[in-house]
Amino acid sequence: MLNVALPKGRLGDKVYNLFKQIGYDCRAMEDGDRKLVLRDPDGEVSYLLVKPSDVAIYVEHGAADIGVVGKDVLLEGGNDVYELLDLGFGICRMAEAAPVDFKENKQRPLRVATKYPRIAKRYYASICREIEVIKLNGSIELAPILGLSDVIVDIVETGTTLKQNGLDVRREILPISARFIANKASMKFKEAQIRDIQEKLAAAIMEKAGEKK
Amino acid sequence: MSTMSFLSEQERLVLELRELYQGHGCMRFPMRRFEEYALYLENKSFLTSEQVLSFTDGNGKLMALKPDVTLSIVKHARRGRECVEKLYYIESVYRASPTDHEFKEIEQIGVEYLGNVDRYATGEVVWLALESLRCCHREYVLDISHMGLTAGLMNECALDGETRRAVFGLISQKNVHELRALLAQKGVSAEMTDRFAGLITLTGTVEEMLEKAAELVVGDEALRAVDELKQLYSDLKALDMSNRIRLDFSIDSDLDYYNGIVFRGYLEGAPRAVLSGGRYDHLMTKMGKDADGFGFALYLDELNSLFMLPRREEIDILARYSPEDDAAKVLAAVKSLRDCGLRVHATCGETPDLFAYRQYRFNGERFVEVE
Repeated sequence: MLNVALPKGRLGDKVYNLFKQIGYDCRAMEDGDRKLVLRDPDGEVSYLLVKPSDVAIYVEHGAADIGVVGKDVLLEGGNDVYELLDLGFGICRMAEAAPVDFKENKQRPLRVATKYPRIAKRYYASICREIEVIKLNGSIELAPILGLSDVIVDIVETGTTLKQNGLDVRREILPISARFIANKASMKFKEAQIRDIQEKLAAAIMEKAGEKK
Repeated sequence: MSTMSFLSEQERLVLELRELYQGHGCMRFPMRRFEEYALYLENKSFLTSEQVLSFTDGNGKLMALKPDVTLSIVKHARRGRECVEKLYYIESVYRASPTDHEFKEIEQIGVEYLGNVDRYATGEVVWLALESLRCCHREYVLDISHMGLTAGLMNECALDGETRRAVFGLISQKNVHELRALLAQKGVSAEMTDRFAGLITLTGTVEEMLEKAAELVVGDEALRAVDELKQLYSDLKALDMSNRIRLDFSIDSDLDYYNGIVFRGYLEGAPRAVLSGGRYDHLMTKMGKDADGFGFALYLDELNSLFMLPRREEIDILARYSPEDDAAKVLAAVKSLRDCGLRVHATCGETPDLFAYRQYRFNGERFVEVE
């Protein structure tokens, strides 16, 4: 039996459908059950529905053997796991955004509000810009409007929320998408099953990419 | 009842491992809890975390509670290759946790061979690693790799230091998609990129993987590495443990310190590697020792997830007396039970956490069994 950690919500539904498509379905998932652990007595996998930012933690500590998680969460958590596949959906970008009329004062540290302090620190270190990180847990767009920060570093999908709040993307930091990850020890003891899922997922994604073209 | 039954699983394991290492002629390396801070400052990247607990001693010298044992052993090692020193240690190391940055005391046990580490000695160290894992759990595997494989490929591509680190990071995650993107960005040819990707995604039996690896790698260094792995595997076959050995070319170790064979040990039920080892001739050279170094460490704290069940604390006799009883008489009565070799917990109260096989009560003269 393989434990699969999925992020609760839209991304999780999408991932489950993909797993179902490659033959790893679970009736309990489709019953609209609100349970957090979903087991199929005859199935080969059981699903754990967890907060998106916790998926990698479950996998790293072996509570789940495999999982699907956004690259943003993976980079921020710095989790020691295998990253086996880029699933090519859940696509967005990590970007720096600022008020439309923002003029940067390069004489002082840039004040950056973000949910992702680790990614922000690493990025600004790579371009040798001194910053002051303000860690927030939500409504990041508010920070520059209220003068709490100069810029924000956040996930941008369509850019609509930014526009509505008078913000603009200044610099793109990273492309983000959903990744298929595995616990390092599970890979040693359940390798055949994990490889099987990996290969089937890769094939399903290729097929989808082909359809789009 | 075994005389050792009072030992915890971890204590029993440590005794078993000591017996194993002594049985191979390894000597215990005695050491202090602290070293000069400078030792760790000079070899910062050898440590898993840069944070070290430091303090100033009476002479104003900056000292540190040791975060690592290998560095101390190498420091005290003899120079030269006339013989091989076989050492083992059981020590506490002090490291900051990567998640909450608080210091933890971690029990570590390990083996180091220094001096002339020849083909036999190499096999013996890996054998000891396998036996150590077997002492911990019946389901174990040892992943083996060789630093020369990926290093050889990187030399062929002439990658700079920063890119090498990034490539190593991606290899250790088996992250082929980002590795391809990075190598393409650095102008590495598609053919070389395929070789890298092929190497980290290889599967199959050890023999098959070695054959395929020999086709994938380029350059003398990498080919020598494949030969060394082949040699080691054929030597280890003699031990009848080869079904526990896997090849995994994604093992990452710092090239500044490690060269040659590297390995990691996994136990079913433990989420991370519990054993880690390799050949560190580069570290020896860095510390001015003209000798080979090969060894491994077993992280006892990583075994905690295997020892989950609470142990029943037990005793043969729960001997109850009352506060009015004559203490001298109770002492004499307990002594006579102890003289029979029984484990006795004498009390005038309750002991809810203790399991007793028999219950006795003091009758003013001696203890009698209560039905």
